[in-house]
Amino acid sequence: MEKKLSKKTLLKSFHNWYYGHLTCFSQEHMQTFGYLCAMLPLVEELYQDEDEKAKAMNTYTAFFNTEPQLGTVVVGMTAGLEEARANGADDVDDETINGLRAGLMGPVAGIGDSLVVGTVIPILLGIALGMSTGGSPLGAIFYMVVWNLFAYFGMRFLYFKGYNLGAKAVEFLIGAQGEAIRDSVSMLGGIVIGAVSATWVGVKTSLTLYNSAGEPYLELQKKLDEVFPGILTAVFIIICWFLMAKKRLSPIKVMLLLVVVAFVGVLVGFFDPNLVY
Amino acid sequence: MEISWLQAILLGLFACLSSMPGMGGTSIGNYTLGRPLIGGLVCGLILGDINTGILVGCAMQIVYIALVTPGGTVSADVRAVSYIGIPLAMVALSSYGLNAASTEGAALATSFGTMVGTLGTVLFYGTATINLVWQHIGWKAIEKRQYRRLYLVDMGLPWISHFACSFIPTVIMCKLGADVVELIKTALPMDGIAMKTLFTVGSLLPCVGIAILLKQIVRNAMDFVPFLFGFVLAASLGINLVSATVVAGMFAIINYKIKMLSVRKAEVAVEEEEEEI
Repeated sequence: MEKKLSKKTLLKSFHNWYYGHLTCFSQEHMQTFGYLCAMLPLVEELYQDEDEKAKAMNTYTAFFNTEPQLGTVVVGMTAGLEEARANGADDVDDETINGLRAGLMGPVAGIGDSLVVGTVIPILLGIALGMSTGGSPLGAIFYMVVWNLFAYFGMRFLYFKGYNLGAKAVEFLIGAQGEAIRDSVSMLGGIVIGAVSATWVGVKTSLTLYNSAGEPYLELQKKLDEVFPGILTAVFIIICWFLMAKKRLSPIKVMLLLVVVAFVGVLVGFFDPNLVY
Repeated sequence: MEISWLQAILLGLFACLSSMPGMGGTSIGNYTLGRPLIGGLVCGLILGDINTGILVGCAMQIVYIALVTPGGTVSADVRAVSYIGIPLAMVALSSYGLNAASTEGAALATSFGTMVGTLGTVLFYGTATINLVWQHIGWKAIEKRQYRRLYLVDMGLPWISHFACSFIPTVIMCKLGADVVELIKTALPMDGIAMKTLFTVGSLLPCVGIAILLKQIVRNAMDFVPFLFGFVLAASLGINLVSATVVAGMFAIINYKIKMLSVRKAEVAVEEEEEEI
């Protein structure tokens, strides 16, 4: 008799992954336990025999870590593969399953980190920041609702895509259309982040030169803004990017460097926050 | 402004839910409750000043707009930023009598939050290390084929790690916070070099956050153009963030159509070749 996973079991597996993929995180096993919890309902439904259960569960004790939102597609795919194995498919064994998992971990993490964490979340946060200007809770509520609907239904979609399509599911991600979507979304992200920086980041100099009569004849900030509004902010961001992307400095080192820059800048009068009680 | 025990306990609870690896799961915990903007709303609700909470949250959100954790390495801990940094910044603002909506207020909040966030990475490694104990129990359970215990290991026992590494540190820091802020205030006068540097650093730090994000999308100099375009939209043309997103969306769609056009062309070319053969 053909074994077929019920929708209820698949949903239980998905929910276990959705909630539990990182709850028991450690540097050593990362998402492995989350994966085991996602596979358990499936294994329990597919196999009655304890030895078969053990064999199936042992497959998923192999290390797993990827970008968890997009990585849902991998969990869905293995659900489909496990079903095929329970039905006696010859070409599905531990090696196929773990080969697939290990092979997809890296690319999915790379795409997921830049697409979800590096683009979608910042865009949503950018819009939310705009809505929360002046201290209104509206933006925060907007982000909470939109992001969670996106994450839940997006991951659910990916899980079932993976389950139904198997290996074809990832073609969508790494194929030509996926590439075009990624490229366009990252362009959208770039523009929004530019607007976010101009709106929310303000690097300003207080450097002013006075003539003998005590009147200012050079207010550097004013002059710079005539050239390109917000140029100091843009320059500082690009320098930080250069240090991290090209010089491979860690964010913490760059932050420490900025402390030094700020200290020197205050000493020479380039920066002055003009504090008053 | 004093933080009561009840308020500190509530903040501690949210710290448990929100961290990366948090008990709220990744979507709700890390990516929703852990974002400083949302943390600002939650802290504002708990401490009874939503407006200040959101303003502080917004200021800190810029620094952490793209908190990507590739391979589980973190440069800042969201639970520390959102549920220790924001409450302390709110206490500091009220102690200094600064308005959170002002540039100085935002700079103070940013410096405080980033300092706490960077120190908070200790909490991240602490949680992940304690989780190793539960995972050890998990492996034993797999050996004995008691698979149901995996749920306890993945979703139950890590609460203990969080009690030690999220709850207790948050409660203690929030209770001590007011005194520490008072201490800093008397030790470092506002017009001194140290405070000026602190505030200047606060205005420079968001550049690092934006740069981390740009690292994801900028590969060569050309990729800076969308970023600068968005910058110009906001800085020179004064377009707000929501509208800028619409403009950005238009460009993204155009880009997608062009990309897909070349994909289709290639497909057609391949088909024609096949026909000839």
